[in-house]
Amino acid sequence: MEKENLPPVSFAVLDQVLDLARANSLWPVTFGLACCAIEMMSSAMARFDIDRFGAGVFRPSPRQADLMIVSGTVTKKMAPVLVTLYDQMPSPKWVIAMGNCAISGGPFVFEGQYNLIEGVDKLVPVDVYVPGCPPRPEGLLEGFLKLQEKITGKRRFPGPVERW
Amino acid sequence: MVNKIKAELQAAFADLTIAEESYPQCGYHLSVDLKAKDIVNIASFFDERSFYLAVELGVDYKEYLELVYIFSIHSSLCKVKVTLKLDPSQPAAPTLSKIYDCAYWYEREIHEFYGVRFDGHPDLTYLFLHDGIDFYPLRKEKIPVSEKDKQELNSYSPAQRDDSLFINMGPQHPSTHGVLRVVLKMDGEYIEDAYPVLGYLHRMQEKMAENRTYYQFLPNTGRMDYLGAMSFNLGYVTAVERLAGIDVPARAHYVRVIATELNRICSHLLWIGAYLADLGGLSPFLYAFDDRENIQDVLEAVTGSRLTYCYFRFGGLYNDVDDAFIAGTKAVIARMRGRFALYEKLVGGNLIFINRTRGIGVIEKERARKYAVSGPVLRGAGIGVDLRKKEPYAAYPEMDFEVPTGKNGDALDMYHIRIKEMETSLNIIEQAIARLPDGPFIVEKAPKKLKPRKGDLYHVVETPRGELGIYIVSDESDKPYRMKWRVPSFSNLMIFPELAKGNLLSDAVAILGSLDLVIPEIDR
Ligand code: SF4
Repeated sequence: MEKENLPPVSFAVLDQVLDLARANSLWPVTFGLACCAIEMMSSAMARFDIDRFGAGVFRPSPRQADLMIVSGTVTKKMAPVLVTLYDQMPSPKWVIAMGNCAISGGPFVFEGQYNLIEGVDKLVPVDVYVPGCPPRPEGLLEGFLKLQEKITGKRRFPGPVERW
Repeated sequence: MVNKIKAELQAAFADLTIAEESYPQCGYHLSVDLKAKDIVNIASFFDERSFYLAVELGVDYKEYLELVYIFSIHSSLCKVKVTLKLDPSQPAAPTLSKIYDCAYWYEREIHEFYGVRFDGHPDLTYLFLHDGIDFYPLRKEKIPVSEKDKQELNSYSPAQRDDSLFINMGPQHPSTHGVLRVVLKMDGEYIEDAYPVLGYLHRMQEKMAENRTYYQFLPNTGRMDYLGAMSFNLGYVTAVERLAGIDVPARAHYVRVIATELNRICSHLLWIGAYLADLGGLSPFLYAFDDRENIQDVLEAVTGSRLTYCYFRFGGLYNDVDDAFIAGTKAVIARMRGRFALYEKLVGGNLIFINRTRGIGVIEKERARKYAVSGPVLRGAGIGVDLRKKEPYAAYPEMDFEVPTGKNGDALDMYHIRIKEMETSLNIIEQAIARLPDGPFIVEKAPKKLKPRKGDLYHVVETPRGELGIYIVSDESDKPYRMKWRVPSFSNLMIFPELAKGNLLSDAVAILGSLDLVIPEIDR
């Protein structure tokens, strides 16, 4: 066969398989910032059991993780550390902004504030926002499902019923 | 005691004017206004009489800066407020860090936030802030940091001081529970020195307090110490009630005690889980959280939140408790009583745990006083002070309970004390439920707009981590003029470098964990 007539190599199927694998084994980095971190811990514990969604392997080192849950207030002093941690995570990687502080500065925004990053998306790209102060563990779990949906393009479980 | 101290003060310092204050209104018995040069002598005077320095803080009155020192004593109820007036353009005062070790830390804080120079202080570098913040945040006017001062603030670089090996523990470290950074100077496997670096979670709470009304600040309290949110909430509302003279119905007092004690159990449970996880045992974490969830369910039903409670209001509660709450609390008590045997099997009797904590991080009485540690850490050292007994608030005067005290002051003692405190809490809750009075849960005419009397107040409560002191200066407006939070974790952390010296690196985790630190509370 002539060289031009070769079918183009496609990794689409392989990518899909990989995405499925990634979505079902997200490894979050152990990185608690403030109050929201306690709810993050709760969601990893017996009652809420984040392991059901394959995300229970919290890693103390960013080099072994592919998901960062920013659970709390990001201050100007912490910002460079957070960015370093993000940079150290291998790609592909995702970020969940958990709680109002991580989303927008939350309750600590006031005129003349001098130590707050008003939203972690000013530092690193954020994939899923989970609002609340703190969000309930169920909220974080829904955030996980959303992230899995974003990675694979499909939602695994039926979504919450819209009531409002 | 108060009269004795007053007489002794007068005898020792002839030209001193000592004012007697109303303790129920101000929270201290005597107040003394000084010239800067006398402060060291006065501090030695109190030091000789076994007083501890509860807090040192600054207030900016625009015409002058004021330094406030509160001296208190463990053995009886006697508090003295000492004030110094400083020139706001060139504020300077002698350091007390040679007499009281805790002053070393407080002075660094005041230096950063007010620009007060402390003559003779060994290390005035950044503790909370960083060079991106180039003014003194707690001054009322925006005063830039001078170049010279900035250089000094920024001069912290341990590696340049000598060529030992330095290890950073944190700010992202699984066992610091938050974002605490400790720089450890190592000699092989042994720790030679430790320097905590704070402020990675400095959320400007004290500045915020000056910007909001008393009501608006309420939700912040639960976010300072998120594990003992109820205690902080309670401390704040009782302080403001005391300042503004608001009466609280008896039912509210009792419910406050029940809710706070439930929260205390939650906090201690989380400590047990997290501490054991630090030491390498993960299963107690799961058990502790299981128990916690049960308590949180009960609290959530009446307060509406799981963690950052904001349940108390000035003059009472946000809403009344119902029968389901009482039944739920009783079920929690029954369940928890049966769990202690399990924790004893799982943790208390575990040889690995005992060997890792026995004789580690021993705190002596004298050292505990110099650093003004409080709470279980103080009681572990053998000083059985509990503010719920010593300066009772809410319905605690009517409760009958023991104060568990340790013998050795090591990490193992702190574990046993916290377990016993949970049992104590259960007893208190049981008594409070049995005697829960009927009646309103909030005063009828809860003030819509709060304008407390002019003056100041230092109010203390016992949180799961120890003495929380709230110092409020009111200028009769609806916002506090100055609000200082003397937080227990901050003073408990200060003692860490002393405890870590000479220990193995792996023991640093065991010591740090035993202090039960909550970082947002330290950083405020
Ligand atoms: S969003 Fe609320 S709960 Fe979460 S870290 Fe911020 S203040 Fe704390």
